Amino acid sequence: MKRLRLLAAALAGLVVLLPAVAGAIEIKEITTPLGIKAWLVEDKSAPVVAISFSFPGGTATDPDGQAGITDLMAGLLTDGAGSMEAQAFRRRQEDAAASLGFSASLDRLNGSLRVLSANRDEGFELLRLALTQPRFDPDMVNQRRAQTIASINQASQRPGSVASRTLMETLFAGHPYAADPDGTPQGLAAATPDLLKKRAAELLLRNGLIVSAVGDIGEAELARQLDRSFGVLPTGTPPALPPQWVPPTRPRTVVVERPVPQSTAVMALPGIARDDPEWYAALVMNHVLGGGGQQSRLFNEVREKRGLAYSVSSGLRTYRRASLLVMSTGSANERIAEAIKVIRDEMGRMRNEGVTEAELNDAKTYLTGALALSLDSSGSIAGLLHSLQIDGLSPDHLTRRAALIAAVRLEDVRTVARRLLRDDTLTTVVVGKPVGVTSEP
Amino acid sequence: MPLPGRRALLGGLFAGAALSPSGPALARLFAVEKRNAETFTLANGLEAIVLPSRRAPIVTQVVVYKVGSADETFGHTGAAHFLEHMMFKGTDKVPTGEFSRIVSRNGGRDNAYTTFDSTGYHQTIAAEQLELVMRMEADRMTNVRLTEREIVPERQVILEERRMRTDNVPSSLLDEAVREQLYGRHKPYAMPVIGYPDDIRKLGVNDLASFYRSHYAPNNAVLIVAGDVTTEQVRKLAERYYGPIGNRRIEPRHRPSQGGTDLPQKVVRADARVVEPRWTRLWLAPSYRVGETGYAYALQVLARLFGGTETSRLSRVLVDERKVGLSAWASYSPSSLGLTSFDIGVHPAKSRSLGDVEEAVTAEMKKLLDDGVTAEEVERAQNQLLAAAIYSQDSLASGPRIYGSALSTGGTVADVDAWPQRISAVTPAEVLAAARHVWRDDGAVTALLTPAEGSR
Repeated sequence: MKRLRLLAAALAGLVVLLPAVAGAIEIKEITTPLGIKAWLVEDKSAPVVAISFSFPGGTATDPDGQAGITDLMAGLLTDGAGSMEAQAFRRRQEDAAASLGFSASLDRLNGSLRVLSANRDEGFELLRLALTQPRFDPDMVNQRRAQTIASINQASQRPGSVASRTLMETLFAGHPYAADPDGTPQGLAAATPDLLKKRAAELLLRNGLIVSAVGDIGEAELARQLDRSFGVLPTGTPPALPPQWVPPTRPRTVVVERPVPQSTAVMALPGIARDDPEWYAALVMNHVLGGGGQQSRLFNEVREKRGLAYSVSSGLRTYRRASLLVMSTGSANERIAEAIKVIRDEMGRMRNEGVTEAELNDAKTYLTGALALSLDSSGSIAGLLHSLQIDGLSPDHLTRRAALIAAVRLEDVRTVARRLLRDDTLTTVVVGKPVGVTSEP
Repeated sequence: MPLPGRRALLGGLFAGAALSPSGPALARLFAVEKRNAETFTLANGLEAIVLPSRRAPIVTQVVVYKVGSADETFGHTGAAHFLEHMMFKGTDKVPTGEFSRIVSRNGGRDNAYTTFDSTGYHQTIAAEQLELVMRMEADRMTNVRLTEREIVPERQVILEERRMRTDNVPSSLLDEAVREQLYGRHKPYAMPVIGYPDDIRKLGVNDLASFYRSHYAPNNAVLIVAGDVTTEQVRKLAERYYGPIGNRRIEPRHRPSQGGTDLPQKVVRADARVVEPRWTRLWLAPSYRVGETGYAYALQVLARLFGGTETSRLSRVLVDERKVGLSAWASYSPSSLGLTSFDIGVHPAKSRSLGDVEEAVTAEMKKLLDDGVTAEEVERAQNQLLAAAIYSQDSLASGPRIYGSALSTGGTVADVDAWPQRISAVTPAEVLAAARHVWRDDGAVTALLTPAEGSR
């Protein structure tokens, strides 16, 4: 094993305290001697180090005819590296109590490492091997391919998964986001070890790399470890982003028949970009409509009052080239039509009336306070820091966020409700044997 | 929202104690530090556990009642879980549906769960709001209003929950049928936590009120508070809010020491909705409380080394070498007031039959029973289990889960704290003896999930 001897990290300044979390969460921005940038929260609550990182280029940039290759490649990065085949590599991880994993989303290749701080040399060395010398042994490629196909098949048994998949295919028809991140049997069959190696080389670059670290590790030591794992990666040009999505301009309903007693419904509207000035108003509106837990209007109207569903919620989703507002529920086949009607009525009420002063205030206190609740473990804090970086925010966002939420006014919520909650762009997917719902293509 | 519970998916309570390593590798890798659990008991019998953590200015309060679905009788299944839902309705002080809204508008989150042996309610919120959630949790320990008007729509919600989790899911329906064979029809652990649909439809105000009165009392509950708080603060608040609640006479809980009477069994579900088949076999097994409890620690090591990870025997031989399975696993959880099960499962590789799988699993079991296990693989499994104990200390949520599970199934704080030592002390000979004890033909149910004949 080649060790890099390095000087202490060059520090890039900024230290920020969360208002509610002062003293507990202090974000440092560091740049290593080899130029790797990272956010660090040093935290000695447990003898653990967790990092969360990602590279640009996700499943939406799978090459033609190779649907699924990016996700398959991601999984195989930990199935043998350097001189170690899969079993030997896993053993080394287990013996160091290190957990190293990769996965691909539509836009990025994501990874995480969690290791006991005492074993950090071994953890970061295994990360270096996975990033720079993955093997893609034919036997493992075949095994992971077969597992992925089985998991695609299993998803096709679950109404919720079928509904999500159908929604994406319908909304993004003709756009790369329509494709299943897991791929297709044909695309996976085309993914040979050579092509997987090529795909890894295309994505595992220093350009666009984002890293967050949390735990029992200091700045200089983190810099040393990051240079060990990431410092040797080449530079290059990541795959271009897919084109901007053009949202639908008419309503659609798609029914997928499945022999189940309960129908699953997902309903989606074009959403709002993370950097849109109305983002915080949308966040408040969504919280009142169907976000959070058991306080929302949808929860009250669909579940509490009418007993139409166990689960009902709404959420904002953002991708690099698209954004959605998605509502979902599940109700007996005979009652799903009523559940959908109640959801649409609530959309209409929100569009016409906005939210009340009390709802606005409650949403603000929840959205402000709930941030601290996600600081549960080293891994979850690293994940939070990583998502802030993905959204292009600076560490002081955690300080500014409360003021941005507090600034949302009743009329801001009304404006954004009128902008987003439009019946004429609503896509509805129902999976089951729904009574009273038919496809309107 | 309220989940029908399952016993912990992975074997074992993960918790800490000063560790006496049993081998050099353990000494090298892990020293599990003691979790700072502090305890006290109120005069009315409420046990309290405090797990201080300064990481973030938040606290988690959990109240666990020592009652679950295994305390129900046939004809009234689902009562524990139904009551859990009704606990979110109202009292004279907190109007219907307001509990969660109050938590939310104060920046917190709340939820609840029901398992075979316990029912738990939890909130996570800013540390200075502990008093608020404690006041409300204490209020609903005795003051919930159970009315017909509230029960009617909630019954529909629970039936939808059942459809979502069970009736829509072929593997869940099979699991329900398997439990009936393994534990014996109409016996505890055989009946589903969420209840049978007919029972859910029949349960009424009187059933739920009687269940509530019989089981919800301070002397049948455990209060666990984790987070940015001191034991003195918790004690002061607990005395103020839980202290005045009177205790009740609680009937002892009974669990059978025997399971199904007609074993071995084979249960098949051929379902048109199934695409990927699955082979599983479950054996009745001792828990920490019932049966040959001395095997409980060795069985956790056995499950780990036989099928706990991708380097385990089953994965190595069935998936990597013989390519009979796409994935293979073994699991065992001893945190049960009654008997529990040791489970092995395999998703067959394409073009391999469930019979091929059964033959391969049986061969691996026989190999283990004939040749035993090596000191090295035992040590590796112990290391993995101990590492999980350390990682559990990195999460605010896991402490309350571990102690709640232990104390609602007859365990103590000392048991939790001694877990790493007891796991470390397991020897290869004990692992073999535990395997011989549990893997008996007359204690097993084999479950086959397959596509319906003619479909696909």
